[in-house]
Amino acid sequence: MRPLEDLLFRTRLGLIQLEKILAGLSLLLLLIIALSQVVLRNFFELGFADLDVIARHLVLFVTFMGAALASEGNKHIKIDCVSSAIKPRFRDRLKKPLIAISSIVCAIFFWYALQFWIDESQYAPDNEQLALYMALILPLGFLTLSLHFFLLVFSRDTAFIE
Amino acid sequence: MIILLIILIILALLGLPLFVALGAGGLYASIQSELDPVVLIIELYRLASHPNLISIPLFTFAGMTMAAGGGPQRLIKLFDALLGWMPGGLAMAAIVSCAFFTAFTGASGVTIIALGGLLYPLFMQSNYSERFSLGLLTSSGSLGLLFPPSLAILLYGIVSGTSIDDLFLAGIVPGLILLIMLSLYSFKSALVWHAPPHPFSWKRLRTAARETIWDIFLPVLVMTGIFGGFVTVTEAAAVTAAYALFIETVIYREIKLTENLPNILIDTAKLVGSILIILGVAMGLTNLLIDTQLPSRLLTFIESHISSQLQFLLLLNIFLLIIGAMMDIFSAIVVVVPLIMPLALRYQIDPVHLGIIFLANLEIGYMTPPVGINLFIASQRFGKTILTLFKSAIPFLAIMLVWLLMISYMPVLTLWWK
Repeated sequence: MRPLEDLLFRTRLGLIQLEKILAGLSLLLLLIIALSQVVLRNFFELGFADLDVIARHLVLFVTFMGAALASEGNKHIKIDCVSSAIKPRFRDRLKKPLIAISSIVCAIFFWYALQFWIDESQYAPDNEQLALYMALILPLGFLTLSLHFFLLVFSRDTAFIE
Repeated sequence: MIILLIILIILALLGLPLFVALGAGGLYASIQSELDPVVLIIELYRLASHPNLISIPLFTFAGMTMAAGGGPQRLIKLFDALLGWMPGGLAMAAIVSCAFFTAFTGASGVTIIALGGLLYPLFMQSNYSERFSLGLLTSSGSLGLLFPPSLAILLYGIVSGTSIDDLFLAGIVPGLILLIMLSLYSFKSALVWHAPPHPFSWKRLRTAARETIWDIFLPVLVMTGIFGGFVTVTEAAAVTAAYALFIETVIYREIKLTENLPNILIDTAKLVGSILIILGVAMGLTNLLIDTQLPSRLLTFIESHISSQLQFLLLLNIFLLIIGAMMDIFSAIVVVVPLIMPLALRYQIDPVHLGIIFLANLEIGYMTPPVGINLFIASQRFGKTILTLFKSAIPFLAIMLVWLLMISYMPVLTLWWK
């Protein structure tokens, strides 16, 4: 394996680990928060607005990290009625260009998500600071997706990591 | 610019991830409308404020936990003890088990993977015909789609703005009718090839019931909680997820927290991520399409050609069956529902009834070529060709089409409680 290819592969492995940790922890935390809210609301008539904010944003964390992990092994939902009918050799040739397009589109979304976050940060009142910081998942999520697709462009197909 | 759009559609058909195709379409539509593409991000962020969104990862987690904890095996044992003494009883047990399980796993293919491998050898041992067994197992992957807490119903409710509680209630009778129709067909078929049923045994039933009692309590918990007005959908999801984790780790001890839980969490995140990312990017695109008055133009066009509700429903069924055969159910909900909602309302179709018709069509689409996902999963699972599986599934497909006509043209089956 050439040094650059090796570096990209290691980066991808590291990214997958990070995505797995964030996805798993976010979902676990979401479960804990949602359950504690049920208990607090129904047994103690209590409710914490901040917990609600965190839970709602954790869904976005799970979504982005789960989507990034789904890129591995080509697990995204597709309308592949044409691709399933074409020859496997031609289909294989299409894979990398499609992954590259995915990386570019996600990079564009990252740019606009960053713009959105910067705009929000300028006008967010004090009581919305928590939501503001949690909303960082929007640009970071698209960045992760774009990076994951980018690294896949430079990987051999057989190197999909399940 | 129209060339760009055509290229995008071709790329989507060639296998570009749907969320990327929809996202690129959204970027294109916003630039065409001279809007800042930041609106797409605003719409995506708005998704996070939807009160029922949290229930999707939680219910999915509950289903995944049950799948990993041996829930399918226990269910088959129970329903076989309950129904297996009749001709076609094993098939009926399979139908009920699959429906029960799919309701929790969201027809994501887990049913065929988890239950198909267990049931297929059982069918063969019991002298069931291979064709019948393959057909039944291929269609079984989407049977519980209309029962609470189906992921498809949750998504439809979020996208269309229809009450999820109402949709859950409306899906029960149509879902039960389908189970009865398929069970009757199984009974009739088993009489022809003399599949030997085992005798009924109270002892066997008691043992199976004792083993499964905690699983069976799960849908009771969900339905009593939601329909009794004790908890919201999101609260029910939290309790269900915690309950599933509790029974699999503490009662059945099939799942070890350190060994298995991380993988279940990651698998759930993958499934949820691949669905919700489509919803997220499509929200912006569909709102832009609504801004360009596409649904109202579509409405004007359809009004000039179709005058009655009956005609509209027929056209809707044909359209949705084609969509179901071309698109995955979750993407179809996200893309198509915002476009057909205004049309259906114009023809005075209740949004809840529309939801059940919509999902029933897509349930059939799951086993229809060219991209019916059940065909692909079953092909992988049983090592048969797509064509063999499709041929085997034809009788089941025919029954489901009759069922579809019944629920489309008899709204009382879905709206009896109103």
